[in-house]
Amino acid sequence: MNRKDFVLQLIGEMAHYVLDTDPMRMVMSLHQEEDGLHLCILDSIKRDDVELETIRTSLNTSHRPELAGYYGSMAGYDGLGEARLNLIGWQVKGADVSDTGSGTRIDLWLGGERFDPASFTLPDSDD
Amino acid sequence: MVLVILVGSAAAGIATTGLVPSLKGLWDIQSHPARLLNDFTQATNDGAALLNAALVALFGLALIRINRVRLSGPTIAAVFTLFGFGLFGKTPLNILPIMTGVYIAARIARKEFREYIIIALFGTALGPLVSLLAVELARPPLLQIPIAVFAGLLAGIVLPAAAIVMLRLHQGYNLYNIGLTTGFIALFAAAVVFGQGKQLAGGSVWNSQPSLLLQWLIPTISALLILAGLSAGRMDALRSFRRILKLPGRLPSDFMDMETVAGSLVNMGVMGIALWGYVVLVGADLSGPVLGGLLTVMGFAAFGKHPANVWPVLVGVMLAAVTFDQDLFARGVILGALFGTTLAPLAGQFGIPIGILAGFLHLSIVMRSGAWHAGIGLYNNGFAGGLTATLLLAVIEWYRTNNPTATPARAGSMASFRKDRT
Repeated sequence: MNRKDFVLQLIGEMAHYVLDTDPMRMVMSLHQEEDGLHLCILDSIKRDDVELETIRTSLNTSHRPELAGYYGSMAGYDGLGEARLNLIGWQVKGADVSDTGSGTRIDLWLGGERFDPASFTLPDSDD
Repeated sequence: MVLVILVGSAAAGIATTGLVPSLKGLWDIQSHPARLLNDFTQATNDGAALLNAALVALFGLALIRINRVRLSGPTIAAVFTLFGFGLFGKTPLNILPIMTGVYIAARIARKEFREYIIIALFGTALGPLVSLLAVELARPPLLQIPIAVFAGLLAGIVLPAAAIVMLRLHQGYNLYNIGLTTGFIALFAAAVVFGQGKQLAGGSVWNSQPSLLLQWLIPTISALLILAGLSAGRMDALRSFRRILKLPGRLPSDFMDMETVAGSLVNMGVMGIALWGYVVLVGADLSGPVLGGLLTVMGFAAFGKHPANVWPVLVGVMLAAVTFDQDLFARGVILGALFGTTLAPLAGQFGIPIGILAGFLHLSIVMRSGAWHAGIGLYNNGFAGGLTATLLLAVIEWYRTNNPTATPARAGSMASFRKDRT
């Protein structure tokens, strides 16, 4: 799968997840480098600690190549039922989930071993 | 635990049949037609069939270990399915070209083989294609064996691409996605064979007088699984089992990951005993294919099925059988009931009426679909289930996206699609 298709899948599934909660605002920001990418999703939904931890756990599941390569391809194609973050969690290198005060911020990191998330310049706050 | 079940079953078969007849039968199975329905327990003997089934499953287990893949819900489901279908269609020889084909596909796609290992394990449902070309068609052996291997390789290469597309068709509501995929590929294979003017023999080989060993195999394995689950988790296992009952079961639902291993083992055992009880109650034969169905259900009890999402589908199948004036113990009906549980996620996600409707439609189509591909795709119920799920999903999706007041799915919401919210 090429990078464009993969990013489309990520965006599709994440948008599905966020829109399930009916936010008034959703922002997605993509930064790409040669050997990695960063997708940042911001919404206007205030979530409690339990919800944030659930998202964090789903997106930071253990490496499951046998599931990622096959069932992971369903990410972004779910028309019915709830969005499933674990489909993404199997495929990304890591994810940060935080409360912005006015909503939730989810950062997805993908890339090879040389990929350095610190080199990205996305601001820390969502304003 | 899995190893104990496989080796124990083969040992029990050899002990009751004898070593020499078992080995001779195992040899015969390798050159026996494998299309639906060829019950190896009837074609040879219990020892040979169980030994063949155990070898097929051990081959899969070895592949999982070599590729450093976790033995969890999907892989447990695959091993139990291999074991079950080793009783009526899969042999170590006819699955090898398919698996090799999937390996080649992984190389072509520059992926690790373990990313496609689930496809390779379940994709062995096309084993009968290899057997068909190797032993059923009248050609010189020097010609037919290379053709059979080539066809198996080709089918394996095509499998991942087709499997991924099929998955998106029914969105994970048909648990046997590779059944839909292999059935689809088998349609083309059968068309090519028929196109050459070849006539394939019909009929079925079925064990209508199963031995005591076959009759008590499932309860024994089920009891072992429940004991293992309870000894590992005690009350936690039961609590976990109760939580599993609330999951929709849509692909991929790895109960061992989402819940606990102990709870999943209890679920596997409970499902095995419950459906074995159903088979006995309706008076069906505990033949090779029926045991295969039960073992597959047990495997998928770690990967999507549980009593709460299975019973509506079962009721739907029973209603269809009564409507079409079929006996509940008839071969097609009992297999449709067991394997039809592939549609359990529909009941889990959209509720009991949809589950019943799915079961009804499933039996209606599965009684016909086997003939379409001449039994080349062993997961005929997965094929029919995929068609059923796709049809139902299309209607449900169309209704929900066009009707803002439609009841949302259990965990979903249509609120964001309302115009007045923007």
